[in-house]
Amino acid sequence: MTVTVVASRFYASEATGAAAGKLVVNFALPHQSVMTSQEVNQVDLSAVSGDLGILADHVPTIEQLKPGVIDFISDSGSQKYFVSGGFAIMNPNSVLNINAIEAFKLEDIDAQAVATNLAESQRLASSAKDEITKEAAAIEIELYESLQSALLGKSK
Amino acid sequence: MTFAWRTVGMNYLQYSSIAARALRRTAKPELQAEIAKRQGMGIKVAKWEAGKSGIPAQVSMIETRSVAEN
Repeated sequence: MTVTVVASRFYASEATGAAAGKLVVNFALPHQSVMTSQEVNQVDLSAVSGDLGILADHVPTIEQLKPGVIDFISDSGSQKYFVSGGFAIMNPNSVLNINAIEAFKLEDIDAQAVATNLAESQRLASSAKDEITKEAAAIEIELYESLQSALLGKSK
Repeated sequence: MTFAWRTVGMNYLQYSSIAARALRRTAKPELQAEIAKRQGMGIKVAKWEAGKSGIPAQVSMIETRSVAEN
């Protein structure tokens, strides 16, 4: 089997994407493409295996995301989304694919609704009779607590 | 590493739906109309054996709120 490798050369000013030391991000939800081939400097995300800060040329990996904040850091600043979960796939060419089911910018979250729902889920956790409902409530509680600290962190 | 939800008999579909629905409830009211449009999607699973499909069965979602989400 032969593999042909083509090297390309270009002026530094024309370099884009991985060549410019940037991450190229595709961030998709089932109902919407939030980012397509977006160049950022760094992505901070919360994976089941731990918190990651991903830069260009990060080692390829597949990470399952926890409900939490994904922070996209570029020259123009940082943009935060809270995701309900999903997967982040880092490719060898500095392309980062993030798939989530639901994601909202922190400013689109209603803090009062979080507090109300957290209380509701805590009530459910203590009153639930079967393990599955208890676990469902525990999942919600973890998400709402994470969301609350994300919202508090933002107002600092 | 086994997840707690796996050990109580939940599958990933149910787990991710619970988290997604939980997050949707906290979006600001002006976004809720958009959100309502994308609710109500289910999934059916059919088990295949020796080239024959079994009966497709709806994967049941786990409800955590008494008002059923449409």
